[in-house]
Amino acid sequence: MFLRIEGLRVKYNDIEVVRGVDLEIGKGECIGLVGESGCGKTTVGLSITRLIPGHKGRISSGRILFEGKNLLVLSPEELRKYRGSRISYVFQEPLSSLNPVFTIHEQLKEVLPKDDDVEGSISEALKSVGLKELIDRKKVYPHELSGGMQQRAMIAMAIVSKPDLLILDEPTTALDVTVQKKILELVMELKKNLGLSILFISHDLRTVFELADGVGVMYAGRIVEQGPAKTLMSRPGHPYTRGLVNSIPSIEHRKERFNAIEGRTPLFSELPEGCKFYPRCKFRIKPCREKEPFLGKFSDGHYSRCIRSKELIAHGTIKGI
Amino acid sequence: MELLKVSNLTKIYPKHKVAAIDNMDLSIDKGEIFGLVGESGCGKSTLAKSILRLTDVQRGSILYKGDDLLKAAARKMQGIRKEIQIIFQDPYLSLDPRVKIGSALEEVFLIHYNYPGPKRRKKAAELLDMVGLGKSYFNRLPSELSGGEKQRVGIARALATGPEFIICDEPVSSLDISIQAQILNLLMDLQEQKALTYLFISHDLGVVASICDRVAVMQSGRIVEIGLCEEVFRNPQHSYTKKLLDSISLT
Repeated sequence: MFLRIEGLRVKYNDIEVVRGVDLEIGKGECIGLVGESGCGKTTVGLSITRLIPGHKGRISSGRILFEGKNLLVLSPEELRKYRGSRISYVFQEPLSSLNPVFTIHEQLKEVLPKDDDVEGSISEALKSVGLKELIDRKKVYPHELSGGMQQRAMIAMAIVSKPDLLILDEPTTALDVTVQKKILELVMELKKNLGLSILFISHDLRTVFELADGVGVMYAGRIVEQGPAKTLMSRPGHPYTRGLVNSIPSIEHRKERFNAIEGRTPLFSELPEGCKFYPRCKFRIKPCREKEPFLGKFSDGHYSRCIRSKELIAHGTIKGI
Repeated sequence: MELLKVSNLTKIYPKHKVAAIDNMDLSIDKGEIFGLVGESGCGKSTLAKSILRLTDVQRGSILYKGDDLLKAAARKMQGIRKEIQIIFQDPYLSLDPRVKIGSALEEVFLIHYNYPGPKRRKKAAELLDMVGLGKSYFNRLPSELSGGEKQRVGIARALATGPEFIICDEPVSSLDISIQAQILNLLMDLQEQKALTYLFISHDLGVVASICDRVAVMQSGRIVEIGLCEEVFRNPQHSYTKKLLDSISLT
């Protein structure tokens, strides 16, 4: 396996926010990680590149194997061979990740080792993200670009080192829909042309379900369901996934009330006993309160963390339940 | 019946010399949810501000029940503001972090009605109940509330003066999808119960498609397409509407 996360646990100030995550990404695959704010999805992404802010967070256990090598035990020197060169990260807000006092060109140059064909690589990267016009305009600063162009520049920085794995953390959330579409098309094109593997972190279910080969749904620091996008959309096994799918607005159900999930996401310091989704679940039964279910396998590549998954999968998504 | 009628409205931001609203005509009927969609900078929020007189316009008229809001005197406008309310996008920014939820709601009854304390508290408690928050929220601070709960407070405050017309400016854009669904349900319920009229501003076409009766598509200060939601979304005529719709489905 290209990338394998095993039993990842992360703590912030002694509160566990990633509570044992297993995830695999194959070569050239795009895996989506969805969930609502505070579910731990970004923390999983940051763990891969070991960018968890050290003063408050730490990875307490688990392994992250990149082509068989455990990234979590590498020395800083060894880690540098991976981070930024073989594994790249694109953050949500392009403007807060670009340095305002350096030109785009300088920032691209910074990523590359000095002895490479720097100019050639930069031109190639700019060309492939559709910013050809910046190849000769070397004095352009981030503020001179539109939001979409800034995000393209960020992606150029991420791919200029020819990485194998690209982590995209809400790459289009701050952008307008027409720009969003262009960025996502670009990402998919890069995936195809460069054979990139992608971890796509987002709260936007619609986008993730359309783009990703496989999707993991996170709730309260754990993956509660995982499988092919199509299966999760039509036959979700976990009540949370089902609630999310039912919350996607569509023209097909005009003026109908959404079958919304009641309540709010629990705080990590106040997680309930047993199944963490229990207090909000419409399908709860007595045993749910006692023990947190494990991630059970229901068909090839389809896993769900619920004791009633079998019934739910058999039902499929019907508006109203 | 026509509740709001905008004619030849033009708003130019002098510094940029661009018309944020360019000779716009629009009318909203009583009891409908009217959607306004478009990308950032197209002038959606400027329209909302113009209706509430939170910004000045250069030309045009905005008739509310036949009265031109742009010509209304300050005192008259204060009365009209009871009938026209707004729910903002960011519930975090629209609440004072040091004021308890109950006091924030009571304030409306003090300013607009000068009610005595016990009556204010009773009214505020009713409002909390109406938006699905219990009495226990009365003494909480905004920081103790989640995003969805804050937006419920924003809705409660908009309802306080018993308005007929509510401008919802991106009311669910900053919320998680499951919370978004809860808030949309609440907005639809309130609209039915109280026969409210909404101007529902959003960049999310899916949300607009699922709750609005009619929709206008805005681009660079102009309305490029307007019609029943069903028709506009199923059979768009303008190239920009097509482009927007095309962007939300990638396959």
